[in-house]
Amino acid sequence: MSPDVFFNQFMSGLARGALLFLVASGLSLTFGVLRVLNFAHGSLYMLGAFLCYSLWAKILLPSLGFYIATLISAIIMGAVGLIIETSILRALYKRGWPEQLLATYALILIITDLVKWQWGGQFLSVSRPRPFTGAVFVFGLPFPAYNLFVIALGLAIAIFLWWLVYRTRLGDIIRAAAHDREMVAALGIPIPWLFTWIFVLGAFIAGLSGAVAAPFGAVALGMDIEIIVECFAVVVIGGMGSLPGTLLGSFIVGQVYSFGIMYKPELALAFIFMVMAVVLIIRPWGIFGRPER
Amino acid sequence: MRSGVLIKGKVVVFLVAALVAGISGVGLAQEPIRLGAIWGFAGPCHMLSESAVKGIKMAVEEINSAGGILGRKLELIIRDTEMKVDVGSREVKDLILREKVHFLIGPCSSGVALALQVVHSEYKILRISTMANTEAQTVDKFTPYVVQIVPNTYMEAVAATRYMHKRYPKAKRFATIAPDYEFGRREEAAFSEEIKRLVPDAKIVYEAWPKPGEKDFTSFITAIMAKKPDAVHSSLFGGDLVAFTKQAAPYGFFEKIPFMALYDLLVLTALGDDAPEGVMGFARGDFFMDPNPKMMQFTEKYRMTHGTYPDCWAVQAYDGVYLLKEAIEKAKTTSTEDVIKAMEGMSFDSLRGRFTIRALDHMGTVPVYQGVIAKDPKYPFKIWKDISRTPGEEVIRPEESVREIWKKTGVVR
Repeated sequence: MSPDVFFNQFMSGLARGALLFLVASGLSLTFGVLRVLNFAHGSLYMLGAFLCYSLWAKILLPSLGFYIATLISAIIMGAVGLIIETSILRALYKRGWPEQLLATYALILIITDLVKWQWGGQFLSVSRPRPFTGAVFVFGLPFPAYNLFVIALGLAIAIFLWWLVYRTRLGDIIRAAAHDREMVAALGIPIPWLFTWIFVLGAFIAGLSGAVAAPFGAVALGMDIEIIVECFAVVVIGGMGSLPGTLLGSFIVGQVYSFGIMYKPELALAFIFMVMAVVLIIRPWGIFGRPER
Repeated sequence: MRSGVLIKGKVVVFLVAALVAGISGVGLAQEPIRLGAIWGFAGPCHMLSESAVKGIKMAVEEINSAGGILGRKLELIIRDTEMKVDVGSREVKDLILREKVHFLIGPCSSGVALALQVVHSEYKILRISTMANTEAQTVDKFTPYVVQIVPNTYMEAVAATRYMHKRYPKAKRFATIAPDYEFGRREEAAFSEEIKRLVPDAKIVYEAWPKPGEKDFTSFITAIMAKKPDAVHSSLFGGDLVAFTKQAAPYGFFEKIPFMALYDLLVLTALGDDAPEGVMGFARGDFFMDPNPKMMQFTEKYRMTHGTYPDCWAVQAYDGVYLLKEAIEKAKTTSTEDVIKAMEGMSFDSLRGRFTIRALDHMGTVPVYQGVIAKDPKYPFKIWKDISRTPGEEVIRPEESVREIWKKTGVVR
């Protein structure tokens, strides 16, 4: 394989990995703290994409419109997260996994039907915003500028989350709560408050990534399930609830898929799950994860 | 007291019912002909199915306001397969057993169509296939209870391949990209069969099989470009094709590599200004591809009703209902076997011109269209130029070839 082909494929994988990281980071964060595997995380992402489309189509500002629409979608999704956490999830923390899975799965169906009712089943399309409409030349090779934007945003969110979790007092609480939530509660920190805000943050990031994904491909029903399945692969490989693990997992899944397509396109998706299976056998808690106590 | 009110209530309801029945008395004279429309309102099928239902409803309303078929009203019952094989089988069974439909029209997905076929053939109910176009419906898995009036995967791919070859006669190295299910597999198989017939030393250098509903084609695009093919044939459609097109454009893909895919009106509309001019498309009869008087008259009426231009999905579904009407009138009965007999060899004036239902395998000799994406100031979306209308007779699989396949698949006819 010539170096330019390798580079091109690597960059495609990086862009896909960045988008996966955006979605999976929220999933992993909420799981790490709340210990709830939110099946509906992909649906929040999908809703964010549809909201972004509608707002973008309404605002009609050629260059700024998309960014405003993205921000508003993310904020709305944060608010949706607030409603979901306080009305549904809060009642379920004390229940077992089966109830939580059922409830979040029910959310998938509800959100899918809401989207179907509001937007119909058509595929919608958001134009790429300026200045990311064309291609940039990296080492003389064309590369879609928007993909670079997605990669940059993925990095920015990774740095922000790292700062939040490892460099702030809230981060100390988050990590402590992930480790031993009774102890944190005993220290007088209001756990319900913490859970709500972590879930809102997760939903905000989901909405943001959905909005950013809108000009990437098409906005359509089904994008929720598609992304959540790959996100599960990401967090299983990297380790549930681990930020560096999610980053590494996204990178691996993106690259395995991209080079899989190059060599054996019919098996590209299968490769991802083969890697996942190997990780599950050797290190069931993921590369950066910790075994459950 | 209570029961008195109730009885009085019942009497009133009865009187009202009788009155309503009296007013619309004509409709009650004879049992209506029930048509079960089974479509997929999910995924890439959703928009296509919505268009099809619009076409069907228009035809049904026209027929009923003109006195129905054999003096009987046509009643429409719509069901959703959700693009799933199991849901489709359940719904079609329900249409047949509970709704007691006389005929079926649909579905969208080729995979679902093959599953439905098993069920309704068992109950001896005829289905008109106007969208799902796998050749298996009429060839490999032939049953007399299917009539196909959409160009099948073989016809569509053969005609498209010839068009591509005519425009790029020197191309020898090809790549394909198609959704990984029945339809995509069939189209690309027919493409490689035909291109090797036209260009004996042709080579397929790369085959990409993204899953239906894929949103990120970046890796596929760079992989295709790395193989440096002379041309690319694709059976991506709907939302998948929209996503592919938008992602490929920044790479300069369409300037570098001749590309052909299912650029129908829906995709062109969704892409708007992003539709790449000069790229080749194939489709099944959107209004602008066949501007004959009958089509244009239909287009005007469709626009008045729905506010949009009719795409090939509406056109074909509309044709399907009228084909059924003509066959029932020819048979003078709704008995399935008689209607099938009437259809065999029957010629029919459709919106897409005249075609014949081949008696052997119930495949209509419907036309296939190819062209090149171009701007037209008359429309708010891009359309095609250099349009080629390939009559079905030129690309339909020869009868001997069909019989050959039947020998292998065990169809006796």
